Amino acid sequence: MMKLLYSYFKLFLFFSIFLFIMGLKFMNKNYSMMIEYEVLTLNSSSMMMVILLDWMSLLFMSFVLFISSMVIYYSAEYMAEEKNLIRFILLVILFVLSMMLLIISPNMISILLGWDGLGLVSYCLVIYYQNMKSYNAGMLTALSNRIGDVAILMAIAWMMNFGSWNYIYYLEMMKGDSIMEMISYLIVLAAMTKSAQIPFSSWLPAAMAAPTPVSSLVHSSTLVTAGVYLLIRFNFSLTDNLLYLLLFVASMTMFMSGLAANFEYDLKKIIALSTLSQLGLMMSILALGSYKLTFFHLLVHALFKALLFMCAGNIIHNMMNCQDIRYMGNLMEKMPMTCTFFNICNLSLCGLPFLSGFFSKDLIVEFMSMNYLNIYIYIIMYISIGLTVSYSFRLSYYSLIGDFNFLSLNVVSELSMIMLKGMGGLILFVIFSGSLLEWVMFFEPIFICLPMVMKLMALIMIIMGMFIGYEVAKFKLGYSLKSLKFMTFSLFSSLMWNMPLISTLGVNYYPLFLGKVYTKIFDQGWHEYYGGKNLKLLAKFSQVSQSFSRSHLKIYFLLLILWVVFLLLNI
Amino acid sequence: MMKFLITLLFLIPLCFCYNYWLMVNCFFILSFMFMMNYSFNNLYLNVSYLFGNDLLGYIFILLSFWICALMLLASEKIYKIDNYYYLFNLMVLLLMMSLFLVFSSMNLFIFYVFFEVSLIPTLILIMGWGYQPERIEAGIYLLFYTLLVSLPMMISIFYMYNCMGTMMLMFMNYQFNLLMYFCMNLVFFVKMPMFFIHLWLPKAHVEAPISGSMILAGVMLKLGGYGLFRLMSLFILVGLKINFIIVTISLVGGFFVSLICVYQSDMKSLVAYSSVAHMGMVLAGIMTLNIWGFWGSLVMMLAHGLCSSGLFCLVNIVYERIHSRSLYLNKGLLNMMPSLSFWWFMLCSSNMAAPPSLNLMGEIILLNSLVSYSSLSMILLMFLSFFSAVYSLYLFSYSQHGLYYSGMYSVYQGVFREYLLLLLHWLPLNFMIIKSELWVLWI
Repeated sequence: MMKLLYSYFKLFLFFSIFLFIMGLKFMNKNYSMMIEYEVLTLNSSSMMMVILLDWMSLLFMSFVLFISSMVIYYSAEYMAEEKNLIRFILLVILFVLSMMLLIISPNMISILLGWDGLGLVSYCLVIYYQNMKSYNAGMLTALSNRIGDVAILMAIAWMMNFGSWNYIYYLEMMKGDSIMEMISYLIVLAAMTKSAQIPFSSWLPAAMAAPTPVSSLVHSSTLVTAGVYLLIRFNFSLTDNLLYLLLFVASMTMFMSGLAANFEYDLKKIIALSTLSQLGLMMSILALGSYKLTFFHLLVHALFKALLFMCAGNIIHNMMNCQDIRYMGNLMEKMPMTCTFFNICNLSLCGLPFLSGFFSKDLIVEFMSMNYLNIYIYIIMYISIGLTVSYSFRLSYYSLIGDFNFLSLNVVSELSMIMLKGMGGLILFVIFSGSLLEWVMFFEPIFICLPMVMKLMALIMIIMGMFIGYEVAKFKLGYSLKSLKFMTFSLFSSLMWNMPLISTLGVNYYPLFLGKVYTKIFDQGWHEYYGGKNLKLLAKFSQVSQSFSRSHLKIYFLLLILWVVFLLLNI
Repeated sequence: MMKFLITLLFLIPLCFCYNYWLMVNCFFILSFMFMMNYSFNNLYLNVSYLFGNDLLGYIFILLSFWICALMLLASEKIYKIDNYYYLFNLMVLLLMMSLFLVFSSMNLFIFYVFFEVSLIPTLILIMGWGYQPERIEAGIYLLFYTLLVSLPMMISIFYMYNCMGTMMLMFMNYQFNLLMYFCMNLVFFVKMPMFFIHLWLPKAHVEAPISGSMILAGVMLKLGGYGLFRLMSLFILVGLKINFIIVTISLVGGFFVSLICVYQSDMKSLVAYSSVAHMGMVLAGIMTLNIWGFWGSLVMMLAHGLCSSGLFCLVNIVYERIHSRSLYLNKGLLNMMPSLSFWWFMLCSSNMAAPPSLNLMGEIILLNSLVSYSSLSMILLMFLSFFSAVYSLYLFSYSQHGLYYSGMYSVYQGVFREYLLLLLHWLPLNFMIIKSELWVLWI
């Protein structure tokens, strides 16, 4: 079993390095390569399996493979006591495979292979543990993602107008066309479900029911970034109205999840919400028109978020599967290495200068400041950045320093070498990948010209966020929590603006109720009444005609008279 | 054609040989022999004595051979406890013969005759090997829903002969009126089944033994689609005017039935209703009268035949262990039969049109056809597609996830035969997409 695991680790690592080098080569020479396999041609519109290799797909694949190789290596220890380890590993491999298929196919039909595959395999991974919570979370995840699948199916139906489903050929040429607009609306809907933007964001924290290595994979580089990646590919066709809509939704998502993370006490959920807010950031910068920056942030975020989850997994493993951050504290002394990694990732997430997150985030907010936009976007973007810092610091204060609040009988130690090695494989990239990728991806520097205050705004927000995070994290015995004073607001925010309620209880009543109505009234009601049960009517008819053949003389004569009458009428 | 018919005829004595694998293998060999008969051509081939087949008939005959072989493979229990095993074999054989004749006849009247004949072995399967008293009612429903509308069809066949002077399907060239449209096609609508007249299907499925369910879902429903394919060219003018009604009924009905599926607690009835929803989409595709709709319907029927038959097999495998089809008792099966759970997932996901199944291809082609027919149908199609995922996942997760039924003392693992059975459902379902022109280009 372990042999299988390590061989996949080696395979993925090898391919990751290979694809990285290929990606650099392709980027340098500006190559791209398309491989088409024709599945079916109907009326000269051909359904194809297309593989597109350009620098973007190669680089993304190399990152995904690198992260997943580390995660697989890590899960050798994390899942060591799992009974069905083979099932777990194969599911993870399938998951990575689906992501690969999604990345390389620029065709609406062949992308379904990866897109649906991601949805289904993530469902299997979320319901991996046999309890009610993971069951519900899995159903929510799968069905939210299914909305996106349906949107893609509809986009396929509309795309038949172009006679092919290779969308990259049509994006720029058909921009502004009403059919293309329809298609891009549907695609944005699909991307919003996969990337958990606002009406659909409740599945992302719920999917935390999956085992931690899976969360680390799902929420960093694979599932949730699929939507962003699809929009990166599609961004040439998005019209202005659509971009404004997307910008609004994405910025709201970013703000909402940043706020919710400040009220959350579940370690994994905080990190999941932070993923959500970073996804909002990526989507908003995409909507502001720079897909390259989106891609940049996507890659960088994938690295530090994967590591963050792996650290969280190690902590949870040591805390006897307790995820509540109120039980943690002073872990810095107990598990220094993990906490160092954790801290570096957190600071990188905050955008502290010269860690990897800084390069992408700073560029994004400056790019946004350079745009001529309304004050709403400006404010909500900076507030969200501040909120990111705030929840990160709150998390650090809660878990890393302070008093140790766990049970008095505990074994919190850092003896798990395999997990640490898996995490150590990522840490260098968390630190350096920002500058590295910036040098590689942006041949000419992006022109930024801002006044002093606006330039410093990002740093100011970071410092304010630090302060708020520090303040929020203060708690001691007999201390009345500040958020109790505005109970409704804090409930509202910590429940992600009631979205989990709306997207579970809010939507599942009516379909079930209608199912009951249709069963009772249609299927077992009118259909039976006018269908099967009315066969008795036939029996009644035959009763009547039976009475003719009884040898009653009167009826016989009556029939004779009738016969004569008909005869006469005929004449 | 005669060679297969004669082969089938001479299999009759073999039915009375008490040998399970002999019969199964005979059917498999027959289906592979038939597979070799493929011609890469959509003309009528192998013509003899009013029988012959083009690609459409070929596909359905192949499907019937395959499903009949799998039927025998699935009902080993009848062999084990010798529940009139000889007669069972004979019934399957007769069914296969009549299906073969239906799909290969080039004469409308012969088609009609064997269309009706195929009902009798099915009825006997349900009445004879079903396991509850309600099977009598189910049998009556099955028989009378079909018979009630098939007699008008017979009369209209005579009228057609009067008008056209021929019964040969390829010479038919005429446009009939509305009355003829309904007299002729209503029997196919019942057989499909269209929403409103689908009542016999869940009943028959619930009461039927596994073999009956498999053949019902796998081939019998496709008879309706086959008949519509063959005869729709006679009703183009009237069809252009009123087909939208049928499209609407079947799409709306498909949506309603999907919701009914979510309400079910009986696994078999859930699968039965899900096939009503799928066939609704097929019917809508045929009724659009465009070429994409015809192609898509064929692919969807083929896919649905394999997929839902496979799901029935799964339900039966579980039933043979737990002795219940209720979703409240069949829980946590993952803990008992993890490998079977894999097949549950594969077939459920195929049922919700996940790639790379033929269902997906059929659904894509049908979506193209229906959205180009009317973009309003998009709304219903979205619901249909979404809820197909809902009930498939509901079936999978309710039966596989969670704590298993505590009243269960012992259970035996899946045996090789069962995994073979499921593999043989799944393999064609997901691998035929690689060279899918073969299954599409029949027109």
